Amino acid sequence: MIQLIFFLAIGVLLFASLFFLARRNPRSEGSSSALIEARQALVALQAGLLPVELVKRIFAKEDWEYVRAEAPATVRDMFKQERKKVALLWVEQVRTQIHSLRRFHRGAARSYAKLNPKTEMELALSFAGLLMACRALQTAIYVAGPYAAPQMVASMANAASRACKVSEECLAFLNAAQLGVLNGPSAGQATL
Amino acid sequence: MWPWLVEGAGLLTQILLLFRGLRAGMFRRYYFFYIYITSAMLASLVMVWIILNSPGLYGKWYWLMQISTLVTGYGILLEIMNHVLSPYPGAERCARICGIVAFGVIFCFAVLAPVVTPRWSPGTVIEFERDLRSVQSLFICGLLALIFYYGIPIGKNMKGMVVGYGVYIVTSLMSLAVRAYAGPSFTSVWRVVQPVSLDVSLMIWLVALWSYCPNPVPDSNIPLEQDYEALVTKTRSVIVAIRDHFRKAARA
Repeated sequence: MIQLIFFLAIGVLLFASLFFLARRNPRSEGSSSALIEARQALVALQAGLLPVELVKRIFAKEDWEYVRAEAPATVRDMFKQERKKVALLWVEQVRTQIHSLRRFHRGAARSYAKLNPKTEMELALSFAGLLMACRALQTAIYVAGPYAAPQMVASMANAASRACKVSEECLAFLNAAQLGVLNGPSAGQATL
Repeated sequence: MWPWLVEGAGLLTQILLLFRGLRAGMFRRYYFFYIYITSAMLASLVMVWIILNSPGLYGKWYWLMQISTLVTGYGILLEIMNHVLSPYPGAERCARICGIVAFGVIFCFAVLAPVVTPRWSPGTVIEFERDLRSVQSLFICGLLALIFYYGIPIGKNMKGMVVGYGVYIVTSLMSLAVRAYAGPSFTSVWRVVQPVSLDVSLMIWLVALWSYCPNPVPDSNIPLEQDYEALVTKTRSVIVAIRDHFRKAARA
């Protein structure tokens, strides 16, 4: 019976893989257009969404204390809910950055003839661990709220800026001339 | 009547597939695949001839044909590797290692199994084919995992080739596993499922390989200044840095 289950499990695994292949978007990751998109997203985040001052403002406890002292209960509840939403969106941006780094690494690594499968496996696990950690932090905010752990917010702000730096460092692997080729006249305006 | 219909439909589709391959000039592009289709068609013709002239030999010849098409079927996997992974040497290297291991297992099975197994009963032949199919299944899973992980694009021809062959392997593996477990009581179902799944695969191939559709390549290969070790070192240090931040955050 165990033998039967084992072989059926292999069959189910292959069937699921084929299903995902059939539904898969034909666009490749790591192509120059995907990299340009990743760069544009990074610029947008660094310039518009993740400056330290903005993050401090989102998580400022003074705002909450003011609202708690001055506003009626309904406004207080609404304020807290809105801030929670914003905080969760902010963590999502951190995840996006890590995803972007991973995508870039995969896009670059697949072209190396000397690629080491063992190392790639280790890196894949590391990225998976990191993304899970992000999820854990997201859950913590969801459960305890944005003001429950101010230190956590500070660390997350650091992590966010670090994640941006990471993507920047990774994208710096491309030298200036190659970036020119990637951006091209029609590709867009993003520059770091 | 029913088995003849299924067999006839399969033969017709195989002939059509070969005809389209010739017309669209795909023979020289996907020669491993067309070798497989030709061998499968010849096997079908031989089996029809045996059924009509000496049905007593059917059991013996059936397994011989199954094993030979199973071995030529490995060519489809090589074809997929050649066309999908060739622009990506890194991913191709991983797949080659995966393929060599899988082929080694198949080869050892084919050479050693008849020597090691003292009694070559129909039961052991079923288990033998089931094991080979499971190796092929695992190899395709590994190949697809690489394609998904590295975001490698796959064109219509190649996608059809993988899905068609995968469907046939999945059905074969599952029906063989149940047949090996349940015994001869499952034979009647198995005799229907096996050829029908081949017909389904042939139909998928016919649609996907109606005309030549080259596999997409990345819009531009991105040459990097640093080598792979540098990339790995940089990525790894960055992961450690981010992880440290999250540890601090979790402790806070």
